[in-house]
Formats: sequence, structure tokens, C-alpha cells
Amino acid sequence: MTTAGRTGLPKTDPIAFRKAGPGAFISSWKNLFWVLVAVVALTYGWRVTQVDFVNLVVNLPRAERIVSGLLRPDILAQATEQTTVTTPLPIGAAAGAEPSSAAVGSGRLVVTPGAVTPAAPLTVAVNGVEPDSEVTFWLVDPSNNARPIRRNERTDTQGNASVTFTLPDSLAPGAYGVRADLSVALGRWQLTDTFVLSAQKMVETIFLALMGTFFAMLVSIPLSFLGARNLMLGSRVGWLVYSFVRTIFNVLRSIETLILAVIMAVVVGLGPFAGVMAIVIHSIGAMGKLYSEAIESIDPGPIEAITATGANRVQVILFAVVPQVVPQFLSFTMYRWDINVRLSTVIGLVGGGGIGFLLIQYINLLQWNQAGAALWMIGAIVILMDYASATIRARLV
Amino acid sequence: MLRIEGLRKVFPGGVVAVDDISLTVSDGEFLVIIGLSGSGKSTLLRCINRLVEPTAGRIWLDDTELTRLAPADLRESRKRIGMIFQQFNLVKRSSVLTNVLAGGLGSISSMQSLLGRFPPQDYHRAYANLERVGIPEKAYQRADTLSGGQQQRVAIARALMQEPALMLADEPVASLDPATSHSVMKYLEEINRQDGITVICNLHFLSLARRYATRVIALKAGRIVFDGLPTEIDEERFRSIYGEEAVEVEIR
Repeated sequence: MTTAGRTGLPKTDPIAFRKAGPGAFISSWKNLFWVLVAVVALTYGWRVTQVDFVNLVVNLPRAERIVSGLLRPDILAQATEQTTVTTPLPIGAAAGAEPSSAAVGSGRLVVTPGAVTPAAPLTVAVNGVEPDSEVTFWLVDPSNNARPIRRNERTDTQGNASVTFTLPDSLAPGAYGVRADLSVALGRWQLTDTFVLSAQKMVETIFLALMGTFFAMLVSIPLSFLGARNLMLGSRVGWLVYSFVRTIFNVLRSIETLILAVIMAVVVGLGPFAGVMAIVIHSIGAMGKLYSEAIESIDPGPIEAITATGANRVQVILFAVVPQVVPQFLSFTMYRWDINVRLSTVIGLVGGGGIGFLLIQYINLLQWNQAGAALWMIGAIVILMDYASATIRARLV
Repeated sequence: MLRIEGLRKVFPGGVVAVDDISLTVSDGEFLVIIGLSGSGKSTLLRCINRLVEPTAGRIWLDDTELTRLAPADLRESRKRIGMIFQQFNLVKRSSVLTNVLAGGLGSISSMQSLLGRFPPQDYHRAYANLERVGIPEKAYQRADTLSGGQQQRVAIARALMQEPALMLADEPVASLDPATSHSVMKYLEEINRQDGITVICNLHFLSLARRYATRVIALKAGRIVFDGLPTEIDEERFRSIYGEEAVEVEIR
């Protein structure tokens, strides 16, 4: 039972009760003032950031394409076998009666009639091929340019599909052809090219984070000793070095990784190396600060004891400081790696390589199903990395 | 063995921890320093091996003036002074053996330390020292798995690695129960009597002082107020040293 603030106060004193009991927060003018300040800040923020929840709710359906891309990601697809065949179709003055045909799949491509004049009706068909497969018809002109007649026509249960249309009269006479691209389902599922490409890019992403974190670790571990107050503040020189190192850490930390990636892309070109350098530079600042703070938080007792044995600075650090900070160092490194994996998934958006690069292309080309595949891949890997790093950190401490 | 002249330590902020202390310690003595917390006992001890830099005064260890030494020579002299602490000050995550070996760091180079390579005889000596304090079976355990008394014994073994001439003990048993305190004090007594190591030990409890010391010094507000045999202090004398202050206040 809590009666905070009421200890020792007479129950019959109404003013003391108001100050200490329920409603005490409201009844203090100072608190009301701060509440007012908060309300003003929120209102101003609302206007500056153009908050408009009605807009959000009303326009939610605009997300439909993206959502459907996520719900039907281009990961698995029917394995298909593609065959192509072209049958000649002379277009000229004379009209022949014989249909032009060629074998395709398990049936035939038939063009009726086999020779036509421009502006004449034409029927192109496939007969007796595999049922429920896709066929795309093209008109190929004498210079081998293909104009689509009909895309992705499905054959029926007999394996027949046909298209009847009228040729435009602007066609110059010549030796044309009709081409059929037949796509037959093989009855088994396979991973799509999108999936394979995303997987490759994801590997690149993971290594991006790994290399970045590794190089940053190499640089920031020695620097962190120079940035630790309890080791450096013995002499004038030490204080200068400490201040300098700490300032470097703060500067590097304050430039966000994505901004650094843009800069690095200008220096070394687009690609994963720009991403690695961006992660390295920012992480040196972030990890250096964490490491320094770990060193500053150690128990000074062992330092005293080892110094008293006649050991020099290096030996004191090796035997009294390092054993105390190793678990924290490892923990912070895993923490930073975690963050860097997440960063490296998006660093491609600004040109840093990795899966972000792929994702932004899919989005720009409005290929939502493929974008969905990439997003699922990102989500899965990040969850895996989360789990892995949590397990490792638990083992360490 | 040890000569202190006019030692004075003033901390930033004006606190005078040690105020004009002079004393001489002979070889083989077991000197116990008693006094209230804040009377300057720890500071005095730390001034001897310059873990704390004295503000004024001079200290000689045999013929070497400690207070004048350059860092490299100071490290050499520190090898001859072993120290144990109230909080044991072991490296918790390292093994007991590593902790003991660390006592020999003063005698190996930085490169050897980096590789963790102590000379083979150091390993033998470390193990022998652990046997001496009665816990050889704990050699490979992590130091923080040991009890308080065991940790303090490891600290003694670590100090013995230096084969010191002088042993400083800053309230070594303040964190231990009475039985364990006696156990640790007995080890100190043993190294004093058998190895001839001079011991300077800070203690809270008069009973321990009377039992183990060959000479007792009492500090009050950074000054020596008593210097004599342990038998010369009884409860009355002890109270009269520290009770006097209360009387003076009342008189004023």
C-alpha cells in the first residue's frame, strides 16, 4: 500500500494533503506550466510536420500494390520449358490458300492463310500442344523485328489456342514470319531468378556489414584505450590525446552512415565498397565511444595491485584492464554488427551495394512482386542475425 | 629496512590525509598500524610504494630513496615491495594461476607479457606459492569463484611471487569473518617469521594487533599518537587516545 508523501503529515491538514495526495500533479502551477509548454510544442509540431491522419486513412488503398507484392512475392514459380518456332508468312500481292505451319511442342503452329496481302484477315493458332500452357505470338518482319500479336495466350484443355486479327495495311510486302513462343509448365516448382539474385545480394549485404564492422573494430580498439579517462588523465600529454581522440569519435558518430555512403560513392564509385567504407567510418566513432566507456567503467583495484608489483603501463593494461573489458568489448561489437546489418540492407538505396540496390531498382520499375521477394529476404536474414547475435552475446556474458 | 621522514600528503580539496609522519621500520618487524577510518592508514601505505604521490617528505627503502626515483627505477623498487588489499584486487575473470603469475610481471618484458609467456620457473614458483597458502587445487578456477578468504590467500601468493623484502597489507581482513581473518593473519605471520619479510599491516581490530604484531603504531588525523609494543595498549589506553577528542570538544 503506498502512501507516498503522507508520512508524518497530519491527516487533517488539507493543504498538505493537496500537495501530496492524488491530484497533486495537477494542482501545482509549475507542473501546469510545463504541461502547457508541451501542448504548445505538440501543436506546433503538428503543423510543421503537416500531420494529416485523415489523409492517411483515406488513401490507405494506395498501398494495395505494395501489399500485394509482399503477399505474393516472386520467390517460387512453376518451372517452365520454353520453345520457339517461326513459320514463314509472305506478305505481298498474291494470297495463297495453303496454311503455313511448323511443329512446336507436341503440336503445330498453324497460320491461315499461308500467304496474305496487307489489310487481310489472319488466324494464327497452335493446335495439339500441351494444355494450359502459355503462348505468345509475334509477327516478324523481314529485318527480324518482332511485333507482338498476342501475349501470354493460354491453351485450352485440348492444347489449342488461336488469335484472329486483321493485318494493318501499312505493312510493306516482304518475307515475313509468324513466331510462337511456347511456355510449358513442367509440373514442378522452382526458385525464381529474383530469389536467386536476392540471395546473392543478401550474401553481399551480410559481408558488407561484417567487413565494415571488422575494420572498424581493428581501428577503434587501440584508439579506445587512448580515449579512456582512467588511463589517460595522468599527464598533460595524456589529456591532450584523450580530448583529441574523444572529439574524433564524436565527429564520426554524428555523421549518419547513409550520408557517408553517398559521400563514399562519390569517392570510390557505386558499389559495396562504398558501403563498407561508410560503415567503417561511422562505426569507428560509435564503437570507439562504447569501448572507451567500457574501459572507464572497470574496477580500479586490479590496476592498483598490478602496478604495485612493479609492472609497466603496457603490462598493467594487459593484465588488469583487458581481462575486465573483453566481455563488454565483444558484446558491444555484436551490438554494432547487428545495427550494421540493418544499415547495410538499406545502404544500397544510396548506392552502397547489397540488397538495397536491388530493392530500389525493383521499386522504381514498379515490379512489386520482386520487391516483395527482396523485402521478405531482408526480413528473414535480419531476424536470423538478431537471433544469432543474441545467442552469442548470452554466451559471452 | 624502511625510513620515513616528514611524510605529508594533502589531497586536492585540502584534505590532509597524512600530516608530518616520521618513522623507522627494522628488518623482520611485524608492524601493525591502527586507527579510525580516515586517519591516514591507507594513504600512508600507498605513499610508501608511491601508488599515491606524497606532497612532501622522503622515504628510504634500505639505501634507495623511493621518493626521488624515476619511473623505471621506481618499478624496480616496487618489485621489492609486495602489497595486498582489503578488496583483494584480483582480476576476477582470470584464473587463480594467472593472477598469481601476474605478481612476476615486474621481471618480464612487455613483449613476453603480450604473449603471456612467463619463464618456466615462474609457473613452478606460482604453484608452490599456492601450495604454501593452502589452495593449490584452485589453480585453474576463475578467481571470482573463490571465497573471500581464499581470494586474499591468492593475493598473498601473488605478492610472494615478487620475493619481496617488505609486505604492505592494507586492511587485509576487514572484509572477512573472524575465523578467516585469523587464517589470513597467520599466513602473514608465517611469511614474516619464516621468510623474514618485514610486514606493515593496517588493522581495525585491537585483538588482532595484539595477537600478531611485534610493534603497534596508532594514527589519528594523519599523525602518530602511539608507537610501542602491542602489550602496552589496553582498551583503556585505546579509548583514551580516541576518547580524548570527545572530552576536548566538551571542554570548549
